[in-house]
Amino acid sequence: MKNKLLYLLAVVSLVLCMPFTSFAQGKPIVIGAPLATAFLYGWDAERGIKLAVDEINAAGGVNVAGQKRPFKVEVIDTRDLEPSVPVADALLAMEKLILDKKADFIVGGPVRSEAALAAMPLLSKHKKVSILTTGVLTPAYGKAVAENYDKYKYCFRNTSHVPVMMGDFMAILNDLQQKHGFNKAYIMVQDVAHARAGGAFMQKALAGKNWEVEMKIYPTGTTDYSVGLIDSGKKGTQVLFLWMDMPESAALLQQWSNMKLKSLPMGFMNAAEQPGFWKATGGKGEFMIVNLVNGGNAPSNITPWTMKFVNAYTKKWGLEPEGYGTSSSYMAVYQLKDAIEKAKTTDSDAVVTALENQDLMGVYGRMRFDKKTHQIIPSWDPKEGAVTGIIQWQAGKRVQIFPPKAAEGKIMFPPWMK
Amino acid sequence: MEIIVYGVINSVILSLTALGFTLVYSIARMPNFAHGALYVTTGYLAWLFMNKFGSLPYPVAIVLAIGITAAIGAFMYRFILIRIRGMEISEIIATYAIGLAILEGLRWGGLRGMTFTLPPFIAGSMNIFGVSVDYQRLLIVAVGIIVFAALYLFTHFNRVGLALRGIAQDERAAMMLGIDSDMTAIISLALGSGLAGLAAIMLLPLGNIIVEVGYSVLIFAIAVSVIGGLGSWGGTILASFIIGFAQILTEAFLSSQYQMVVALLAIIITLLIKPSGIFGKQKELEERV
Repeated sequence: MKNKLLYLLAVVSLVLCMPFTSFAQGKPIVIGAPLATAFLYGWDAERGIKLAVDEINAAGGVNVAGQKRPFKVEVIDTRDLEPSVPVADALLAMEKLILDKKADFIVGGPVRSEAALAAMPLLSKHKKVSILTTGVLTPAYGKAVAENYDKYKYCFRNTSHVPVMMGDFMAILNDLQQKHGFNKAYIMVQDVAHARAGGAFMQKALAGKNWEVEMKIYPTGTTDYSVGLIDSGKKGTQVLFLWMDMPESAALLQQWSNMKLKSLPMGFMNAAEQPGFWKATGGKGEFMIVNLVNGGNAPSNITPWTMKFVNAYTKKWGLEPEGYGTSSSYMAVYQLKDAIEKAKTTDSDAVVTALENQDLMGVYGRMRFDKKTHQIIPSWDPKEGAVTGIIQWQAGKRVQIFPPKAAEGKIMFPPWMK
Repeated sequence: MEIIVYGVINSVILSLTALGFTLVYSIARMPNFAHGALYVTTGYLAWLFMNKFGSLPYPVAIVLAIGITAAIGAFMYRFILIRIRGMEISEIIATYAIGLAILEGLRWGGLRGMTFTLPPFIAGSMNIFGVSVDYQRLLIVAVGIIVFAALYLFTHFNRVGLALRGIAQDERAAMMLGIDSDMTAIISLALGSGLAGLAAIMLLPLGNIIVEVGYSVLIFAIAVSVIGGLGSWGGTILASFIIGFAQILTEAFLSSQYQMVVALLAIIITLLIKPSGIFGKQKELEERV
């Protein structure tokens, strides 16, 4: 009888233990995602995070010191990209994630630079490790970590920032200058902080390289760019440099195409990132060169993982990765998983150390954080660092044209430029 | 030359944008702050009819969208505004709340991003005095002229139109002659909303259908109406040309980011010099005194 009881106990214990060894059954690790969900940089980030979480959970979850735990995502709409929404609202939303939703980690936003910078003390107060994956192109974020490490050590960013993006653009422009003799540029930017800064930076940099350059600033919501475009045509502009994150900027490309201006449009332009841009402009956005900030935000073969990600995203959401914020948000979840597993705990300080020492080959190249700034280390070689994704719209497709080691096509010019 | 060409185009665009707002105020004496929301609604409905509900042909989608928007305007008066007519602050709050609910409802319902666009009626462009202008803009100017002419004929030679004018000029006298004030208000809300819809159908092919455009359309409609004189059609046209040319000149010689400042400054200056607007009659007596 005693033997039978022991046998029964052993069988019951074995049955009870089985799920723990093959499925993620532990307490969920909560990822809080504060995102401006009404905008591309919010909803594509949300989709990227959820795709990664689904993949990781399906594969058994996160191995925390031998216990498999699933990820759980809690998304909150910060609305910080919407006009007139104060920064304080984004902070309240993030605090709600931490206090009410019991978020263990923060991935995603806040998306607007001003809100993300203001959120840093909050993350510090609650000791929450955060990986910023979308929006926020200001270099001030990494600088703040470097200047006040002990306070802001929980803040990481796996996307690029303005100075890196400008370096990429300058490489393309230098090439155009050398190969085609281009030396006249016209800058059109949106009246928001990052765009004005980007435009001013480019104006100064080009002037230093003997370019004739002029800049115009447009208020958010502008749909008519005719006067500026006509002016650029009169001045013999060869490069139209644009920096805008409003949907209305698609109209700019339509007008540029209708006027058949002999200039090559390029820049950071939210409207031109998404797969729907071609249809939205009736194909008039062809030849636009767009910086998608990170590789993998459009189909390419940067690493073996890139197309695997692109195909998985397309299968789950019914369209290709949509633009800036997609691949980085997806990768952040894998970075977090890797760090937790190496730290063998979800303790914030241990995860910070693990992230600082991380060296992971990801969707857009080798992913390592700079230990001082907690900024992803960029490179033009995917074997060395995180690679950008600069594409050109060619015959309805987004073709990666920069950096050379990840390029799948060359820059093409509108037929009316010849 | 481009300043003249694009100044005229921009002015006609502004007047088309503001016409519905002016019409409602001139007849029903109601500031319809849902004007921008109705503008966006029409564009979105047309997009839905073309892309989601049966892939209707463009002209059918347009007619349906404008018709539904006009009906929304009529319903707004019949079921909500009729109860607060004459209470000016309540009218403003109610119409603004309706507009806000519509716009944020559309955003919540999926109107976000830049996928939502209407095709231009005629693709391509031509040179006018050496200035490149696309056909859609030329069509806007033509439609603007036709709409103003049609409205003039309607209000001067049609019984319903004459009744609307009668109410606009002297509501009590018109009512004594048997004109139904509430019915004219319903008609004016429907017409004004339909005009907001027509403006949307003409102008949205130049950009994208997005929620934010509803707010900017409302601001410019108010700016034009206040400067022209609330309820004055002639004033609306004149104010459109003043603001339209001022904006183009601002862009050419100063910077585009000051365009909104120019519009708001024009309101302040107008209010300082002639509080009732260029052709306004609201405070005519006080101003004379």
